[in-house]
Amino acid sequence: MTELITVKNVCKTFAKAKAVSNVSLTLKYGELLAIQGASGSGKTTLLNLLTGLEQADAGEILFDGEKITSMNEDQLALFRREHVGIVFQFFNLIPTLNVVENIALPLFPVRMPRDKMLDRAKVSAENVGLSHRLDHYPNELSGGEQQRVAIARALINNPEVIFADEPTGNLDEKTGRMIFELLRDLNKNRNLTIVMATHDQSIAAASHRIIKLRDGMISNE
Amino acid sequence: MFQYALKEMRKRRNKYALNVGAIILLVVLLITLNSLSLAYKDVAVLPFKTINSTIIVQRNGNVPENMTGVVLSCSSAPIGADYLSRVSAVDGVKDVSSGLLLWVFDHDNFKRVFGLNWTDGFGRGIESQITIGSAPQTNGEALVDKAYADQYGLAAKGHVIVAGADFLISGIVESSGKNVIPADVYVALASAQMLAYNSPNLQATEKFNQTDVNIIFVDVDQTNLNQVSQRLNNIFNVGQSTGGNTPTGQVIGSYSIYTPTSFESQISSVFKLSDQLTLILSLIVPIGAILIIANSSGHTLLERRREFGIMKAVGFRNRDIQRVVFSETLLQMLIGYVAGLIISFIGIAILARTTVSVNVPWEVGGYPHFLVPDPNLAGTVLTYLLPITFQVKYALLSGAVVVAIGLLTTMILARRLNGLKAMEVLKYD
Repeated sequence: MTELITVKNVCKTFAKAKAVSNVSLTLKYGELLAIQGASGSGKTTLLNLLTGLEQADAGEILFDGEKITSMNEDQLALFRREHVGIVFQFFNLIPTLNVVENIALPLFPVRMPRDKMLDRAKVSAENVGLSHRLDHYPNELSGGEQQRVAIARALINNPEVIFADEPTGNLDEKTGRMIFELLRDLNKNRNLTIVMATHDQSIAAASHRIIKLRDGMISNE
Repeated sequence: MFQYALKEMRKRRNKYALNVGAIILLVVLLITLNSLSLAYKDVAVLPFKTINSTIIVQRNGNVPENMTGVVLSCSSAPIGADYLSRVSAVDGVKDVSSGLLLWVFDHDNFKRVFGLNWTDGFGRGIESQITIGSAPQTNGEALVDKAYADQYGLAAKGHVIVAGADFLISGIVESSGKNVIPADVYVALASAQMLAYNSPNLQATEKFNQTDVNIIFVDVDQTNLNQVSQRLNNIFNVGQSTGGNTPTGQVIGSYSIYTPTSFESQISSVFKLSDQLTLILSLIVPIGAILIIANSSGHTLLERRREFGIMKAVGFRNRDIQRVVFSETLLQMLIGYVAGLIISFIGIAILARTTVSVNVPWEVGGYPHFLVPDPNLAGTVLTYLLPITFQVKYALLSGAVVVAIGLLTTMILARRLNGLKAMEVLKYD
């Protein structure tokens, strides 16, 4: 497997508190990586740095050889649109859009006929088993269904990698397990790289590799 | 993006209703106020249209000691015939008509007698109001106003006696409420001049030559109105004052020049608007609309911070989010503008059915106040349908203001959105 992401000595500080300190790691294509650590250990910050949602104070991050740490805000937005899918703990769906429109959201700024856009969203919805819920709004869905919508949205641009921040953290155990199975299937069947922050030991144990963070630093790999 | 904006508006219609309402109000007020203002200027012109003129000139004179026999309408004085040629020579004057308005106190009744040339502009105006019979062909014929004819049982082909002179009634006219200078009997100018010349009471009050008149009608292009009016002032108001005043306060011997502008203050209506008020409202209303929309949009933006944060997280650039905001603003402006146009159109159609009264200054052609129970009834009141029409130029003007507000609102919101950090709103909101 070749390297997709390379992180070199990355640091991030918030108000004098070091959230991520001198972290270095590599991630290979098709890898399923779990990041573990206690609350405040820097998991979310590290994911945000990898997605370009936060800018590193020091160090560099290369994505497929391209240095995302020197990209400006617009370039980072395009980077996320074209290469990355993000799944949040709290789903982050837009309440005024229905399922198919929420899934299609990353395509809105792309010049594309609306029909084609919605067709792609429907395919993505089908991949996560939501074909029967296309016209529903987020408040009409269960937590598990909302997270499936978020995963479908993350898949719509055929990204190289999905970053998931506690994707099961807001779900019951059974639903959480189903969501993880879905992510694992995507990794297995489509060779999709997945980086996932999680507290759940059993989910982490099912990953290819686990990184543990403590006080913003990698404690063991 | 546009369909997203449409959906967003549908889902949050209560939030956007205020903005759309502000735009509707803006468009309706801008179009209606300016159209009203224009209509009132047009109302002031209407009394002149029936007499095919734009300016009326009269000279202020003495009041007769006794109201008996034939006198000049109070308190006018004779104007020499030589003035007509001087007025005709003024640049911008299209046509000049003249007339002689007399008050005739016969032993059995009072009548206003107007002497005119049937072939000039004013004469043609009166001729067009004939409802029965035809225009007089000789100096011994007259037209009688319908109201007067009905009161005294007169009819076409009958006779009317004026200061002992017998006139054959060639026709009946309906001039009441239409003419700025109404009369009961219309005769040839030469006949009226003969009546005035031979009246001892009139000659004792003002020296009257046989070719004199007491009213001049001047027809000019609206564009030349002020220029011609100024030149007429130069012709007429030189060394004419004798020092005394008429009962209504005019300087005896001076000339009064009436234009549509003189009548603007005589228009009575609750809808009357001054230019200044229209201008002030036209400035205040857009500012108010900007404040309402900016404030309301600001609140909406605050509520939707998380939404915009999600958009940034999934790959929207600042300019993409600006497009979202612009689409929504554009849609609101478009809905508000179209609705405003429709409401303005309906409002103007309703306003066009209302009437407006013009009180003609009493000196121009009033009735003897001592013959009516209430002195206020001595003046002439003309009533017209408000000549208001939907003005495309104001629709375009309001459109331009709406576009400007839309751009300004988008710019303000875009500035605020540019500083939005996706993770900050997703983390804390």
